[in-house]
Amino acid sequence: MFFNIDPRNGLAIYDQIVRQIKFAVANDSLRSGDLVPSVRELARELAVNPNTVSRAYRELQSESLLATVRGTGLEITDGARKQCRQERVHLIGERLRSVLLEAKQSGLDAEEVRTLFDRELSKVVNQR
Amino acid sequence: MTAAFSLKSITKRYKHQLALDDVSLEASSGKVFALLGENGAGKTTSLRILLGLTRPDTGHAHVLGLDSRTQGQEVRRRVGYVPEQPTLYEWMTVAEIGWFTSGFYALGFLENYRRLVADFGLPEYRKLKDLSKGMRAKVALSLAMAHEPELLVLDEPTSGLDSMVRREFLASMVDVAAAGRTVLLSSHQIDEVERVADVVAILRQGKLVVCESLDELKGDIRELTIALKNGSPSAPEVPGTVIHRQMKDRNWRLLVRGIDEQQAESVRSNPEVGSVEVRSPSLEDIFVGYMQGDSFVSQNQ
Repeated sequence: MFFNIDPRNGLAIYDQIVRQIKFAVANDSLRSGDLVPSVRELARELAVNPNTVSRAYRELQSESLLATVRGTGLEITDGARKQCRQERVHLIGERLRSVLLEAKQSGLDAEEVRTLFDRELSKVVNQR
Repeated sequence: MTAAFSLKSITKRYKHQLALDDVSLEASSGKVFALLGENGAGKTTSLRILLGLTRPDTGHAHVLGLDSRTQGQEVRRRVGYVPEQPTLYEWMTVAEIGWFTSGFYALGFLENYRRLVADFGLPEYRKLKDLSKGMRAKVALSLAMAHEPELLVLDEPTSGLDSMVRREFLASMVDVAAAGRTVLLSSHQIDEVERVADVVAILRQGKLVVCESLDELKGDIRELTIALKNGSPSAPEVPGTVIHRQMKDRNWRLLVRGIDEQQAESVRSNPEVGSVEVRSPSLEDIFVGYMQGDSFVSQNQ
């Protein structure tokens, strides 16, 4: 999989790695049994601190999305897909909420937001 | 864990210019430690004092358990150092300078140097005076890394280099850190520091304003944009420590330390406040905030 790290986007880099792996599992670009790159490899590829990569991996391990394979590295676990799909809804929900909050602060009312939402959604859907 | 290097109450004055004013900091080994600051903030002076190349007026500097003042030569033998403008023997070729330098170090230097030079794709038989700036920088870095130092010191390593060379430099730093060794770099390139650093120290006019883990720093600071209903001239009260405040047409922008999302939300309940926008600032925002902040915030650790 390809990562897209932006140090300036407000999210901590380890968190960006965690999220992108979760999304990749949710949309099947990473499957259970796939190995993730070693800490050193990924750190080099993304030009980020290796401690940042280990932190991301530790977090994924503590959520049982990654597990160690004897001698070879870390692999995506069997239950990861289901969990990541649920999580995806949650993460996107959070993002959506912050946009809605911004809309509210800008003075749009609920009806205007809904119209806007539907219009933008249909644009995105029609893109494919 | 022993400290990889430390400065204790270091003060250095050049004639009337106070370069470093009572600076103390310490770095544990295995970390990437970045020194940030404007030109003339004291970054290079700090590095030179650690390496025993400049004597401080007061205070003590230690590197790998050695005293920089009395054991400077041993310090320089143990660390790898790439100065901002490396001086190299221009008439030597890439291969020759490696061979020449290997005489000062233990066995294995030359082999490592050749491997690094090959990895960087440097032309072995070209003279240094005929190399591009990026190639010269790679030679200097190869020379500094070939004895596998426990501490790699880089002064503005990527300034003036194109983005490909930069990327290779970052990758090398990452490799050194991944091998459990320590990197100390000074830089203007804040986005690069944000990628690779564990610990960030910010110097402002010779004073240390911040020295702590990048994650903590970013996790602990929020930028609040507050619109006031009546445009009251005083800044709204917020929990935490305000690093920097700015006002523009009835809006305040505050950089606040030690505030969590919930506390930030609570500012909304203030009847004077129309709206609050909370954002996680980038390291650059934090840096600029500390540089423009009107008061020096007390040092953290």
